[in-house]
Amino acid sequence: MSDAMQGISHSVVRMASFTGKELREVIRRPGALLSLILGPFLIMFLFGLGYSGYRAPFTTEIVVPAESDFSRSADAYESLAPGRLEVTQVTDDREGAEQRLRDGDIDLLVVAPENSAAELRAGRQTTIRVAWNEVDPVYDQLATLATSILVSSLNAEIVERAAAEGIGFAEGELGPAADIPPEVIARPTTADTQNVAPTPPQVTNFFGPAVFALVIQHLAITLTALSLVRERTSGQMDRFRVAPVSSMELLVGKYIAYAVLSLAVSAIVGVLLVGVLGVPLLGSISLFLGIVLLLTFASLGFGLLISLVADSERQAVQLSMLMLLASVFFSGFVLPVTDFAEWMQYIAYALPVTHGIATLQDLMLRGAVTAPWQLLALLGIGVVLYVGSLLRLRRVIRTAD
Amino acid sequence: MTAPGPSGPIIAASNVTRAFDGKKVVDDLSFEVDRGTILGVVGPSGSGKTTTVRMLTGTLGRTDGEIRVLDEDPLAFSRGTRSRIAYMPQLFSLYEDLSAQENVGFVAALYGIGPFKRRSLIRNALEVVDLYEARHRLARDLSGGMQRRLELACALVHSPDVLFIDEPTAGIDPVLRQAIWDELRTLRDDGRTLVVTTQYVTEAEYCDRVALIADGELVALDTPDALRKLVFGGEVLEVGTDRAVDPDVLANVGGVTGVRQPEARKLIVTTEDAGSTTPQIIEALRTAGIGVTGLEEHQATFDEVFTGLVEQRRAARSEETGGHADV
Repeated sequence: MSDAMQGISHSVVRMASFTGKELREVIRRPGALLSLILGPFLIMFLFGLGYSGYRAPFTTEIVVPAESDFSRSADAYESLAPGRLEVTQVTDDREGAEQRLRDGDIDLLVVAPENSAAELRAGRQTTIRVAWNEVDPVYDQLATLATSILVSSLNAEIVERAAAEGIGFAEGELGPAADIPPEVIARPTTADTQNVAPTPPQVTNFFGPAVFALVIQHLAITLTALSLVRERTSGQMDRFRVAPVSSMELLVGKYIAYAVLSLAVSAIVGVLLVGVLGVPLLGSISLFLGIVLLLTFASLGFGLLISLVADSERQAVQLSMLMLLASVFFSGFVLPVTDFAEWMQYIAYALPVTHGIATLQDLMLRGAVTAPWQLLALLGIGVVLYVGSLLRLRRVIRTAD
Repeated sequence: MTAPGPSGPIIAASNVTRAFDGKKVVDDLSFEVDRGTILGVVGPSGSGKTTTVRMLTGTLGRTDGEIRVLDEDPLAFSRGTRSRIAYMPQLFSLYEDLSAQENVGFVAALYGIGPFKRRSLIRNALEVVDLYEARHRLARDLSGGMQRRLELACALVHSPDVLFIDEPTAGIDPVLRQAIWDELRTLRDDGRTLVVTTQYVTEAEYCDRVALIADGELVALDTPDALRKLVFGGEVLEVGTDRAVDPDVLANVGGVTGVRQPEARKLIVTTEDAGSTTPQIIEALRTAGIGVTGLEEHQATFDEVFTGLVEQRRAARSEETGGHADV
């Protein structure tokens, strides 16, 4: 065998030694794997299974003053904002209703005006008081929305009633001059809605690929960070310094190990997602695997970065968890990336999982990646981090300070 | 059979100094190690032994001085030279979740040894350190002594020419320490060159040459016997007598450089050459009417040797500084 061939052969053996070692270590620590990697995602998985997306309607009381011409039927008010209000009673006891709102017995209080039709005829606006007692900003927004729908519907009701009165007056005075129904005058347009997405928007469908992308990134980051930190702090790095092993062989060996591991996890999670939870995979499996590999490649770079700055396993775990938190908040997992300030979006796009979530959701739910630049972004992040880590590791591995 | 190397010393260190934050941990160290010998680097904990070995292996840079190992600077070892060197770190640094066999296999693979050739080498290395029966046990389940032996097996698996072994017997029981030293001497006999650090001064006996280090400085460098002579000013005889004797009886015997009397009926006699002086000592005692009940060469322990050398160094320092040495 020539020297060159022998050199290549030895290099392959050295890389394989790291690959085999990493895989064995991971397999021998199933508890650590479960608690560190799958634990957070098991919770998310249960959340996904248990969360239906259904929001309970606001418990509402309607106060209709005795002299008001507003309806006193609870069903009538519930029908004005379907699914958003549960009207427990219609009452004229405003004081009691206000107290129940302050006590938290009801979510929403609507106080009807005393004589809205008369005020309208007189050319004056009437005011509907709507009050709620909510500290949760999400529910605050929802209450605002429900109020908006309710008030809009009530306005339409008032206009409809006034229009009916007007048509009746016109018919009496002028004969059948107008045959336009009052509800058309009150609501001249209606919406015919349609969601043209290839898959219906369901919680499991939408969050499944996102959780999957987070699993891949977190797996790669945590295990790589821990692995190298352990080697740095245990003195194993000295053995690498003495042995004829290069930084590149070390890195490539580890990359291969985690690529294998990621593909194995992908296969399991993929079967769970598609086979058990029924999340569609409309795109090609080869592109799906390609995205997984790119995401793993980019995430391993972050793991290496952490391992090169952390000085203990504890710090590596903390930094990995920070990455997970940052990913949950900024990657589009919870809120769309475009909801953030522009400078924040740059940070979001530096996270591999941001592109992983977008491309996997596209591929699985729409059948194609609508923004192919995100695949290039994953590749770019991976290459930059790999080269940076390699240069840094080369310095670390050759001679201690 | 070891690979050919330079004709001179395998290892040469010249005026090597290493400082951390301006404080010298190793100061102006110079020594050479010949092929097929064991150099024992002996000294108390914190004396600079590990720093010295790490500089020799190239895992730590130096502040000043020159080092050559197999005719190369350790900071620029070629791959070929690396494959001829082994390093056994002071602390257990192998993978606890791998078995003994897997750990040795991993290190063998680091040296580019393929899976088929590896099998027999792993077996040999584990058999040498008596761990073959425990080859399937995870490293974390091995005792401290077994873990040290596993480290040694990893250092041996690729048949290196030069071994740097840092505290191989630390925390190991005396029987096993003896076994490990037997193995190191066998490697030496096989033509390999070893640098072994130890804080057990008595283990200097097992080495061909001993570098005594204290406070980062080389206190002495020689064979164990020569170091004894250096401390006591020559060869030492222990003479038993049948009654109390005045040490001055031997004052005029030629070749005797010193006499101590630790007990009434015992003399510790230092001579330039025990072989030629012994008959004269016996004759002088008989002439004084004193019977000799025993006479043997006094083997000073290396604790005594080390203590004596350190005291000599302090005395020399004290003289140099006019009695204000701070060591």
